Amino acid sequence: MTVRILALVGDCYGARGGIARYNQDLFESLAVGGAELLVLPRLGDVAGLALPAGIRQWPPIFNRPLYSLVSLWAAWRHRPIDVVFCGHVFMAPLAWALARLFVARYWLQTHGIDIWTPRSGLQRSAVEAADLVTAVSRVTRRRLLEWADLAPDQVRVLPNTVRDIFAPGPAAPAYRAQLGIADGPIILTVGRLASTERSKGHEAIFLLLPALRQRFPGLVYLIAGEGDDLPRLERRAHELGLGADMVRFLGYVPDAELPDLYRLADLFVMPSSTEGFGIVYLEAAACGLRVVGGAGDGSADAIQDSRVGTTVDPDDPGALLAAITAGLQGDRVDPTAIEAYRRPHFAGIARLLLAELMDRPLDRPLS
Amino acid sequence: MNDRMAVRGPDGSGIWLSADRRTGFAHRRLAIIDLSERGAQPMASADGTLMITFNGEIYNYRALREELERKGYTFRTESDTEVLLQLYADRGPAMVEQLRGMFAFGLWDAPRRHLLLARDALGIKPLYYADDGWTLRFASQAKALLAGGAISREPDPAGIVGFHLLGSVPEPFTVWREIRSLPAGCTLVVDDTGPGAPRPYYSIATSLAGREASSTSDLAHARAQLVEAVHDSVRHHLVADVPVAVFLSAGLDSGALLGTMSDLGARNVTAVTLAFEEFRGSPQDEAPLAAQVAARYGARHVVRTVGRDEFERDLPAILDAMDLPTIDGINTWFVAKAAHEAGVKVALSGLGADECFGGYPSFVDVPRSVRIFRSFDFVPSLGWLSRQAISALMACGLDLHPKAAGLAQYGGSWEGAYLLRRSVYMPWELGDLLDRDLLEAGLRRLRPMQRLAAELRKTRHLDDFDRVSVLETALYMRNQLLRDADWAGMAHSIEIRVPYVDPFFLAALPPGAQLAAVNAKESVADVPNRALPAASRNRSKTGFVTPIGGWIRETAGGNAQVSLSAASRAWALRVWNAGWLGPSPSAAAPATFELAPALA
Repeated sequence: MTVRILALVGDCYGARGGIARYNQDLFESLAVGGAELLVLPRLGDVAGLALPAGIRQWPPIFNRPLYSLVSLWAAWRHRPIDVVFCGHVFMAPLAWALARLFVARYWLQTHGIDIWTPRSGLQRSAVEAADLVTAVSRVTRRRLLEWADLAPDQVRVLPNTVRDIFAPGPAAPAYRAQLGIADGPIILTVGRLASTERSKGHEAIFLLLPALRQRFPGLVYLIAGEGDDLPRLERRAHELGLGADMVRFLGYVPDAELPDLYRLADLFVMPSSTEGFGIVYLEAAACGLRVVGGAGDGSADAIQDSRVGTTVDPDDPGALLAAITAGLQGDRVDPTAIEAYRRPHFAGIARLLLAELMDRPLDRPLS
Repeated sequence: MNDRMAVRGPDGSGIWLSADRRTGFAHRRLAIIDLSERGAQPMASADGTLMITFNGEIYNYRALREELERKGYTFRTESDTEVLLQLYADRGPAMVEQLRGMFAFGLWDAPRRHLLLARDALGIKPLYYADDGWTLRFASQAKALLAGGAISREPDPAGIVGFHLLGSVPEPFTVWREIRSLPAGCTLVVDDTGPGAPRPYYSIATSLAGREASSTSDLAHARAQLVEAVHDSVRHHLVADVPVAVFLSAGLDSGALLGTMSDLGARNVTAVTLAFEEFRGSPQDEAPLAAQVAARYGARHVVRTVGRDEFERDLPAILDAMDLPTIDGINTWFVAKAAHEAGVKVALSGLGADECFGGYPSFVDVPRSVRIFRSFDFVPSLGWLSRQAISALMACGLDLHPKAAGLAQYGGSWEGAYLLRRSVYMPWELGDLLDRDLLEAGLRRLRPMQRLAAELRKTRHLDDFDRVSVLETALYMRNQLLRDADWAGMAHSIEIRVPYVDPFFLAALPPGAQLAAVNAKESVADVPNRALPAASRNRSKTGFVTPIGGWIRETAGGNAQVSLSAASRAWALRVWNAGWLGPSPSAAAPATFELAPALA
């Protein structure tokens, strides 16, 4: 039986970022299993893009009331709908209403801090009405279950997956020269630099750079990523007297170039405190790079409880310094350590979850 | 984890890890059927594709084995454990419907990469599990899961509110958020995506509805059915390769068990009776009458006298063994202790008879309350206003039981009347005991009235007797009595068997209306070929008391004058204050066994 899915998402095809990538991976996995998906994004245009078989995406609609009306129309137009997929908690009430209206099952995807704090009113009811909730990490699942009245079996961990382009190997020969970096150890952070997410630990690393340079002469800290917080970070580095020989802001690095960047580096460091998962840890580890993440958020899942690196308290400079020092002196990561995060495994789990969702009765008993 | 359960299985221990080290079982053995090493667990199927860790007994395992042998299955042991493996191979998870017994097990199906967790129909054997999204851990005790050190002790408001409300923690909750109880009569399959939803395979309400449909109006026939059902159940519960004893009070239910054991040819049965120093020589002492019953059926009678000093000495051990907070279980602790001292390993108990024979006042009180107070439900808020008014009068000095204020508000519905009957504290009283946020979160998640109503919806077609029977069986007996029998019995390495708690037995009884008509709670005295002595019947009418309520009352800081209900309240607080949410004393201990079916 073909399962027909209406997907309400913030972004998917035609957009970049971890959540868009996650949605693409998930929908392609389900489509390969025979599902048909109609994707309704709020951002990201697919004009000119060829989408995988089984997936259609409508043009984006940012306006909320209009988005709701179009969603209703789309559900009516493409009925019967078996599953309403909701890619963000903000759209949960709409997804819930559509699911009940069209007698469909309702799948809510959660990524991180969007559900770490209790929701109230309609949004809370909409979260608790979900037939299936997938969370990208154990910590996200745990934080959700702390406040939401959901049975634990309804909330499953479906983490990010890592693409095959991320694999160990030598960096492109000219890449170091292309970046204009002298010989010396490289520590690297990759991630969006948004003023609303100042929790990736860049500044904590800035403060340690003098000490690290003493121990590792020539060490340079590379920061890849763009966002509205970039100017502030640049100013901060300048205030601390960290010249371009110590900190380099690379701006946006295209996906195709990222594997070379990871291969060039000696250690990936992002002592974050609010990562729902942190796909970049996985990408780094998949390229053989040892990683240092923050304790207490989703990093532990990507780092697999120390299998490919270390988690430290981002507010403990001594621990962070020790972790970076040990990481720079450690071996590269065994690439088989992240096999469970490769696409085939992810796709298999995603399809099993969909099958299980379809098995669940629409009338849910008390949890 | 396994060490924490050593006392549950002092006869042996075993460990198994799969080749990829992602799945592991540990087991402690109390050897009762097939005492040889061949019966050790975890046990693998002959081809090594199935592996089981099993707690409990399957009483019809011989019949199942014969059936399987006819189909060509062969066996290497004489144990019931191997029958479970072969039955699964034959029928898959649906095999649980064939099982007569008490059980909780985990069965790993390597080819399918499935773990099947299952628990017996009525919830005699416990099974707890914790899933963190990567790793599933399960055990017979919640505290064993905590002992592994990998599970959070964060509180579950629903379990905590449930305990203060009812005196025991209602399944599927525990007082720890990460630990759940697999509901009675359910299976749960864990696959690559993690644990699925528990799937019920048994419903007590459906079972009782079935016997109503097949009943006749002949009371003589009903009596004969009662006799036959008790005989059949006791016969099944005697299956063991060690002697089976009985917990004998002066009541009819345990006496009927002993008499039936005698009818079935059991000789020199050890009968263990609890006596109390305070009652020595008084009419309240059960020992003399129990001795008469024991003598009548040729039993070896062991009387164990317990006093207040021993209770106080044992209290720390009792609270440590108590797996989840409960206001009961003390009697069972001491009778199991006595049985252990007498060299007993297995004992029958009369637990469950009150639920099926109508032995509780709730069989009369709940339907009567609904009839009297139903009219209050027709006027919105009248019950609430009544409670406010009575509470105000009580605050001014009117001396009534605290629950009396809620009679009009709760007494008119079945769920409300039952809650009034069984609650320790009523919902409106909990604000004085619990943190406001915790209380709000707990009531929201527990939804006690909706939960009771959901149970009652299954009983729509039953008569009043059977409706109360369903409530008492599915709630009070399951969450309180059976759980207490497990921790208190196993703390002394005693397997407590309960012939009155058996789905096959319940289905074989006449319907509730006929049980009431034949006065089953007294007719049970006539079940043995030689009926119980007349003194037993007369004694049963005067009721039974123990001094334990008084000890509890004083230990909890009350005085001798307070009512038993007030003592229960004080004891509930004493138990709760024993410290359920603090740091684990064994938090540093490594997790010995984990099942990692997902992405770990």
